[in-house]
Amino acid sequence: MKLKLNQLLGAFLLSFILFSCSNSDSEQPRGAYEQGILIMNEGNFGTNDGEVYHLDPATQTLKSNVFEAENLRPFAGLLEDMVPAGENLYLVANTGKVEIVDAGTFKSTGAVSGGLDQPRSLEVVGSKLFISDYGPYNASYATPDSYVAVVDGLNGGVVSKKIEVSNKPEDLFAYGKYIFVAGSEEGKVEIIDADKEEVIKVLEVDGHPAQFFESDGRVWLFSTGNDEVYFQSFHMDNFTKATTNALPVANATGRIAFGNDNIFYVVTSTGWPDYIDGVSRVSVLGPELDLDWMSGSGFYGIGYDKSRDELYVANSNGFQGNGTITVYDKEGAEIRSFETGRGPSGFLFY
Amino acid sequence: MILFLWVVSLFGFIPTPQDTVILSEVEVYAPALDRFAQGQKVISWSKKDLMDFEGRALADLLQEQSPVFVRQYGAGMLASPSFRGTSAGHTALFWNGLPINSPSLGQSDLSILPMAAIDQLSLQFGNAGALFGNEAIGGSVHLLTVPEFGKEFHASIGQQFGSFGKYNTHLKASYSTDDLSLSTKVYREFSKNNFPYMDLGQISTPLVKEDHAAFEQKGIVQDLAWNFDSNHQLKAAFWFNQADREIQPVMGSNTQDMQSDQSLRAALDYFRFGNHSVLNLKIGMVKDELLFNESLSKTGQFFVGGDWDQVISDHWTIKGGLRFTQVQADLSTYSTSDQRIESYQSAKFKASDRLAFSLNLRELIYQDQWAPFTPSLGMDWVVIQNEKQELLLKSSVGKGFKVPTLNDRFWEPGGNPNLLPEESTSGEIGFAHQFLGEINWSNSITYYRMSVDNWIIWLPQGSVWTPDNIRNVSNQGIEYEGAVKGKLGAWDWKLIWSYSWNRAVSTKGIGESDPAIGKQLPYTPQHQANGQFNFGNNAFRAFLGSFFVGERSVTADNPRLMPSYQLFNGGVSFNRIQWGKLSFPVSFQVNNIFNKNYQVLYLRAMPGRSFQFNLSINL
Repeated sequence: MKLKLNQLLGAFLLSFILFSCSNSDSEQPRGAYEQGILIMNEGNFGTNDGEVYHLDPATQTLKSNVFEAENLRPFAGLLEDMVPAGENLYLVANTGKVEIVDAGTFKSTGAVSGGLDQPRSLEVVGSKLFISDYGPYNASYATPDSYVAVVDGLNGGVVSKKIEVSNKPEDLFAYGKYIFVAGSEEGKVEIIDADKEEVIKVLEVDGHPAQFFESDGRVWLFSTGNDEVYFQSFHMDNFTKATTNALPVANATGRIAFGNDNIFYVVTSTGWPDYIDGVSRVSVLGPELDLDWMSGSGFYGIGYDKSRDELYVANSNGFQGNGTITVYDKEGAEIRSFETGRGPSGFLFY
Repeated sequence: MILFLWVVSLFGFIPTPQDTVILSEVEVYAPALDRFAQGQKVISWSKKDLMDFEGRALADLLQEQSPVFVRQYGAGMLASPSFRGTSAGHTALFWNGLPINSPSLGQSDLSILPMAAIDQLSLQFGNAGALFGNEAIGGSVHLLTVPEFGKEFHASIGQQFGSFGKYNTHLKASYSTDDLSLSTKVYREFSKNNFPYMDLGQISTPLVKEDHAAFEQKGIVQDLAWNFDSNHQLKAAFWFNQADREIQPVMGSNTQDMQSDQSLRAALDYFRFGNHSVLNLKIGMVKDELLFNESLSKTGQFFVGGDWDQVISDHWTIKGGLRFTQVQADLSTYSTSDQRIESYQSAKFKASDRLAFSLNLRELIYQDQWAPFTPSLGMDWVVIQNEKQELLLKSSVGKGFKVPTLNDRFWEPGGNPNLLPEESTSGEIGFAHQFLGEINWSNSITYYRMSVDNWIIWLPQGSVWTPDNIRNVSNQGIEYEGAVKGKLGAWDWKLIWSYSWNRAVSTKGIGESDPAIGKQLPYTPQHQANGQFNFGNNAFRAFLGSFFVGERSVTADNPRLMPSYQLFNGGVSFNRIQWGKLSFPVSFQVNNIFNKNYQVLYLRAMPGRSFQFNLSINL
């Protein structure tokens, strides 16, 4: 899960930064699915069996296939990202659609189903949706026509514009009326003006941009290189790069969890043929640097429950069936494990 | 003619040990499939049986009329057979005796094997590595063209129109004297395939028309057979098929993939009929080109082989042979070649007219490795035989193997050259009983057990997928078939039905905690059944058929089950419209009569009710 903080710009609210936007509406009763933990299960390529599971961490009650249970139809897609914004939860399927559900009830409220190719993430600014999309593959499986799609309407609709960006855009981050785009293939960050619907600035950054987050009052970008990972921060007044911290974490996959006290958990994988997965425990501000904090195989998604100080590490089990989630305490001692959906790739902690 | 002493066996529904059927003068020799297959289950369809499937694919016939489960990735899309709970790659496919599975994929697509191209079909069940070699683990499929002698000139043109833009044209012409036979088939099959379906991947699940599943398939089959004297026969067969398909996306995806498959197959057989012996020399070629979007895979297989079949005495018959295979592969990510040499031996001992045993052996070497040695042993015993009834007991044990495919071994990145061959052992016992008389009633039942070890599975290692010998699988099941046929005046009727139960579970998986252990394999129904009722006279025929496919899971650990479904098909035909020498058979068929909404594989839309009208002109 990627951090979405666009509605939390009031500085003092940063003290309880988490993934949620609805925290600010604490007057309203929260729906069943706006409490506890949502588990994003990507699904298997060619099967389109992505789904969301819900976990109540207090009782360990796990509800499977929430989308299908609430909407009486399968999700039918590969679930790439879950983005809460306002009343809605946006479920981004990289198979070419965005399903929009009520965050509390998970009942379908809309969709973006035409005009997308391989959407990756989404951000809401005002009444517009901005959707990063790899664009179609060409003959050699490259994606030279990547874009950020614009949809006017919080409950979806049609794509009204495609803003060209560098290849393979991933995470988006909204700051006021501006949207930062993590251009993962070419090492760029594009900044889009949401009113003009155009790129107003392009920054060259280190590594392959993966995810934006906010920490210590600053906006950061996490990006990966072969032998290092980079944490780069930005000046938000003139949109220039501020600091770059490089840490010697090799083979990072781009998946990261943000713990308490500025401790981050980075998933690594040597890939084929040696194939050792691991989790490195690092800090961008402090001295923490434990490169081989955990090792294993099949690591997929990762997430951190800040309120309970628990780390969730997901295992895809080779996509042969359902995945497994193992919960660790902050020192890495295993607490419990349980089965989840296929290809568990991320979490949303309310 | 010595030819007469030799056998072609066109097994009936219940195969009886019939190695003494006399070859009729008009038929071209083909080595009998069951000559050394004592104890094994074989089902065959003659040219006439295949008529009901004109204009359809092999996939449809197997699903509707056999215990085989066909995994269909949409209508007219990739369809792969699963015999007795094994995977698509565990079925050997032969065309006129040549193995035609793709060496890179290790399987065949049953959707692009049109029935228009073949005259006869047989299925053999269970391990038959010794008789049929590589990939005959779950079973094998044998496609034949059967040219005839002494029939002079015949020609026909068939035209089919059907729902969803189906438009097929078939041309056939044959000319034969007593010694020479020429036959040509040309076909083109086209379907817009724009069937309506409920799109579960869209909000409010609208009824939409499939807009990316059109296919066109065309081909030519040429057969030649020549008796150049009374004990020499030459037989040549050639088949070119091209299929161009829009690949139907899985619901929820909007992929626009295109696939084009070209296959060229040629076989040349020389037979010398000696004194109680047949020498067969065979050369063959199978070339496949698969273009997926812009990624081209080319493979070629070249075969040279020969065998000698000798009746030694009233009790003993033996056969031995050798085959050399050269495989060339030129794919988007690798190029390689592979050489295989195999020798095989068979012996049959007839203890009496009612009791026969066979022993078969095969050894195969690929590159510098030995495939597992595969013996098999079988028995046919006619326990009861009189005017009223017949009871046959069949039993066999055998082994099978699968050489890792070229993709398994060489795909870049991820291919694993150290893979072991998959290996299986199976045993079966079956009874076939028949009441003879005015109403002929038959029942047969087979129980089998099988294990498949070193089952190859591709697993992700980061972003690269790589195959390994992961799974062991244990299968057992029961296959039951029944048939009643009779006559009512000028009318004859036939009712056939079958049921199969198949339990295929993983006994070893990815590590000891693999939740798949002890569970049914994915997309492997435990229950299947089918039945057909057929009646007619010599002018009119009608049939009604139905088949049932039980629940099956999407993944090996079984959390999501696909619902069972049952479909009904029916049709009528009339063949008495004539004008001079010309006849005009017509037929009409309805598939999925009750417009059942179903999926074979998860989120792969399948068509509802469809109609098909066939019109032919025969000379």
